[in-house]
Amino acid sequence: MTNIWLGLFSGIAFGFVIQRMGATDAHRMARSHLMLDADIPRFMVLAVALSAVGLFGLQSVGVGRILPLPTSIVATGLAAVIFGIGWGLTGYCPGTTWAAAGEGRLDAVFALLGGLAGAALFAHLHEMLIPVLYDPTNAGRITLTDLFGHQAVAVAALALGFGLCAWGIGKLWRHDNVEKNN
Amino acid sequence: MEYPNKQRIPYWNWVPAAFALSGVILFIFATYGPPASSSGFVSLLKGFFEWAAPDYVAAKAHYQSIPGPGSWVFAFVLGMAIGGFIAGRTSRDIPVRDMPPIWVKRFGAGRAKRYAATFFGGLLILFGSRLAGGCTLGLFISGSTQLAISGIYFGVVIFAVAMLTARLIFGKVSEKEDIQ
Repeated sequence: MTNIWLGLFSGIAFGFVIQRMGATDAHRMARSHLMLDADIPRFMVLAVALSAVGLFGLQSVGVGRILPLPTSIVATGLAAVIFGIGWGLTGYCPGTTWAAAGEGRLDAVFALLGGLAGAALFAHLHEMLIPVLYDPTNAGRITLTDLFGHQAVAVAALALGFGLCAWGIGKLWRHDNVEKNN
Repeated sequence: MEYPNKQRIPYWNWVPAAFALSGVILFIFATYGPPASSSGFVSLLKGFFEWAAPDYVAAKAHYQSIPGPGSWVFAFVLGMAIGGFIAGRTSRDIPVRDMPPIWVKRFGAGRAKRYAATFFGGLLILFGSRLAGGCTLGLFISGSTQLAISGIYFGVVIFAVAMLTARLIFGKVSEKEDIQ
């Protein structure tokens, strides 16, 4: 029961923050993908950089539970391509459909229903697809720590890499808003 | 400041917003574990099928791997909807619309076309998420936070493909006119 309250509270806080960033607005998401608005992508990568450092801190005091997902070269890559087409077309990802539907956006309600259909379809085909697409190229739960040999170095590399991405996105994306206001 | 005219930008500044989001993410890691949202879809379906077709659920590996709706994963997505509702009701400036203006410029104001497209797109994003084992949050954000190669790999590809897809679909209209 505690878990349900924690989940509900976490979801409300998460949904609130992403709405305030405009991430539930498919129009703003499309502009982000078109490199016309840098704020959502750099908000995302900076949040990852900060979370990685914070999680390292939590783990060092023995708090939190982690479970990195395995990497399957074929399945993870193919899944990302399918996902990317849907994300580019609709401007919604699984989490934002719930927040946007709650906000009252009707197109997000349809994205949510389509999502239920997609999840049901995959669940139905799971036994057929996983052995063919996922298992043969499954490299296991590999992390940057395996690559760098030391967790603190890996966290520093990730935070630096994602921090640079946030900065680079700000440089590469156009700043229509700024130009208009000046 | 990047946006001198505050009234035109109703959204939070991205830097404090990133701190706020990572605070939520760390709270989730501390109190539950890796955050995820695509599992919530499976959880809801599992609840439905347990009522409608219990034998089917029992025989399917994917439903066996995710808890039913009385769980953190479903409470989280339900909370997201409530959070979106509260945020939408308490902001006067952030526009809530059923049709993104950029879509209307490209495909017209017909609602059926937009709703069919978001249904199909929603199908793709969840099919992909379930194949990879997670979505933008459950794989890219929470995976990368845990230094997982899967999260970084998934993140790079979803951004690249989504940017290419958006360019192919909306590239022309975004160049032609001022879409704000």
